Amino acid sequence: MVLTPGEADLLRDLVEQIRLLLEHPDPDDPVRQRLFPAAVTGDDAEDAELRGLVYDDLLTGRLVGLEELVGYLDGGRRVRAGLQVDLQAEQAALVLGVLNDVRLALGARIRIEDLDRDQLDDNHPTFPTVVLIDHLGWWQEQLLRILDPQSVAHYDDLDESDFE
Amino acid sequence: MTAVLAGPGIAPVTTPGTITDDRVDLDRPWDVIVWDDPVNLMSYVVFVLRRVFSYPEPVARKLMLEVHRKGKALVATEPREQAEWYVQQLHGYGLHATIQRAS
Repeated sequence: MVLTPGEADLLRDLVEQIRLLLEHPDPDDPVRQRLFPAAVTGDDAEDAELRGLVYDDLLTGRLVGLEELVGYLDGGRRVRAGLQVDLQAEQAALVLGVLNDVRLALGARIRIEDLDRDQLDDNHPTFPTVVLIDHLGWWQEQLLRILDPQSVAHYDDLDESDFE
Repeated sequence: MTAVLAGPGIAPVTTPGTITDDRVDLDRPWDVIVWDDPVNLMSYVVFVLRRVFSYPEPVARKLMLEVHRKGKALVATEPREQAEWYVQQLHGYGLHATIQRAS
């Protein structure tokens, strides 16, 4: 990956924000609710139990991922375009997951599920965040092209019904 | 689908007239459901389904499209412990997944 200095700084900043959020739990926080979602439907007691069981590993996994990403950024070398970060396959897979956590967190913060993207213009306050989510998604696609080219979207994936 | 706490928000269900304690019957199957969400990329969902379930690409893609078009898809049916393990992994990847007793 080659990141512009701006991108590297931005990533570090986002990672730090999420790390703080994970370490200082606020149960009403929509970001937290998205990162630790429901696990069982049809039985609230079972849901609470399974969520309790998975919580520690899920939290640790996320924190380790954030830490590892910062480590990779620290280990990057300066090239003309910015910062080059060389990743082995499993490291790339980890970065892919961390980018996903960041995108989910950003999306939850702006309540993206309630937004109608067709009505967003560049004056809308959430617009910069939506742009950022898309930009990080582009990074994910680049990583996926290398990690698992078969998973990357095909042109025939979408038909007319997807655009209703 | 809104990415809030209770997901589909179904009230607890009690099965009438059942004497058996379901927890004891660990082999009874549970459905693993993946729910649509507005952030996860289609390609990422395919990648995760392949990683977690070792599904061939056409199967993973078909399931992803079902999630995308119908809002959810049944991705596996397994004994309880296996289903729990799958959901844990899926949550780790950031997918919104739940288990429910198989109908």
